[in-house]
Amino acid sequence: MAHAPANAAALLSPANTTLARDAGRLPAIGLVVLGVAALAIAVAGAILGDDTAKKVALASYHAGFLFTLGLSLGSMILVMILHQVNAGWSATVRRQLENVMSLMPLCLAFFVPVAVFAPLIFHWMDPHHTAGDVIYDAKSAYLNTPFFYVRAAAYFAAWLILSRMLDRHSVRQDADGDRFRTAKARRMSSYGLLIMALTAAFAGFDWMMSLDYHWFSTMFGVYFFAGFIGAATSLCALLLILLRNAGVMEGLVTREHLHDLGKLMFGFTVFWAYIGFSQYFLIWYGNIPEETMWFQTRRTDLWMPYSVALAFGRFIVPFLILMPRPWRRSPLVLGVMAVWILGFHALDTYWVVRPTVETAGAEVAPTWLDIVAMAGPILIFFGVLAMRIASRPLVPLKDPRLGEAMVHKNYV
Amino acid sequence: MATAAATAGAGRAWGVLAQFDSPAEVYHAAEKVRDAGYRKWDVYAPIPIHGIDEAMGLRPSKMGWIVGTCAALGASGGFLLQWWTSAVAYPMIVHGKPYGAWEPFTPITFELGVLIAGFGAVFGMLAVNGLPRWHHPLFSKERFLRASDDGFFIAVDARDPKFDESATARLLQEAGASAVETVEDE
Repeated sequence: MAHAPANAAALLSPANTTLARDAGRLPAIGLVVLGVAALAIAVAGAILGDDTAKKVALASYHAGFLFTLGLSLGSMILVMILHQVNAGWSATVRRQLENVMSLMPLCLAFFVPVAVFAPLIFHWMDPHHTAGDVIYDAKSAYLNTPFFYVRAAAYFAAWLILSRMLDRHSVRQDADGDRFRTAKARRMSSYGLLIMALTAAFAGFDWMMSLDYHWFSTMFGVYFFAGFIGAATSLCALLLILLRNAGVMEGLVTREHLHDLGKLMFGFTVFWAYIGFSQYFLIWYGNIPEETMWFQTRRTDLWMPYSVALAFGRFIVPFLILMPRPWRRSPLVLGVMAVWILGFHALDTYWVVRPTVETAGAEVAPTWLDIVAMAGPILIFFGVLAMRIASRPLVPLKDPRLGEAMVHKNYV
Repeated sequence: MATAAATAGAGRAWGVLAQFDSPAEVYHAAEKVRDAGYRKWDVYAPIPIHGIDEAMGLRPSKMGWIVGTCAALGASGGFLLQWWTSAVAYPMIVHGKPYGAWEPFTPITFELGVLIAGFGAVFGMLAVNGLPRWHHPLFSKERFLRASDDGFFIAVDARDPKFDESATARLLQEAGASAVETVEDE
């Protein structure tokens, strides 16, 4: 191992790189149980409630699903980027991203109810709704029910195969120490990133933008990406901080690694604001009715406070707090900001999805049903993630870049 | 006249210059100078040396504050300039948009923030470095020219409260200098 510190063997001992198999088992099961309970309440509320309640429950559940999907997609894209640029510093960080990435099958399970009840919230699927609608007619070659499901199947096939292959290279390398797996993962990441860019953007068009099917924004795919990539980076930082507090990964993940993740969180915060503002600004200036109505829906008395909260919470606050170097290097500040960014990314997802629910043209205010329906998949996701983390080594034990990661230091 | 000035100059030391042969030597010597409590001194090398700021005990640069203040002034100035001209001094309807709409102001607010921050970075850096200046006493030493080739140097300024010509020279000698000499003020 090049550049490895003298105590590398001790740092990589099982005591430092594995959790006890039942570590955190109780809170993890607790999260899953809570999530299932929340979903059960949401389902009961939807069944007992009127048509609007059903739409509200499904829309919020859909937002919860998209939040978890974004974390998985974002982690997978980060793993590919780190492989592709051969990032030595990230070798000790990567396994946590792989843990989140490997939950893609769970995301597929979350998608099933959305796929089954899609016509409730995807109004363009309803022929009565679209009869004589010239805007829909012009889009119908792409935006039709069979093609919608074919695309969904294609996206998930690509994501499941890529995440499984990447994860397997990493886990098998733990056992056989074959360094060429790193090169193979790197080669996979090259075309993998291209596939991810296209599928993630089109998933955003299909599952978020088409909820308001008159509206279109060519930037929307990037907006979806800009949000979830920052959230995935924040989740990675949060997991590492929690693991460090649990007394493992001593000397493997240091302030230097957190500092780098903090820089990425800062960068993606600015990137999200840049994309979000550009999208809004072009539409505001163009002033074309079928474009402006999307923002008009979110500028009503009901939704405006959420829009303003999003601008401050997802951009201005983390922008200012993550700017000073000492704060980006502080596990406490970084941990708080990671939770903060994840929270506002959830609000962002909700803000995109939920205002599209209408009853006879009138907007529907948020209720308790929104909270349980959205929290359900998110709590289950975090519970399963906690079990996944405890189930395998916390770092890729035989990655050839491990030594470089252990002595990593930021000079600026 | 000329002789008198030269004699007077030769009597006052600007400081002490020590030469080292490798980055590692100058790095460890810098740690010793730092630990001896010196404040007005510097390291000169033809290449960047990782971690030298820690070895010298440098505190974080003031530049962040200078650039940050300039950025805040530039951005708020840019916003106020546009808002005052298009909503107060000469209100004019463009595209049927409200007079004081913040949206079209944003790009210029950002750009002016960046521009003034850039000025702050360049001119602030020059000011903090004490540049521009015509000459520096160190340039009177032939060996110092190797700071841009293969020489590694530590120079301690005589204005440092701990400075003592012989004691400082001895410290640098013991720290592994291959040559130590006194630099005269001109």
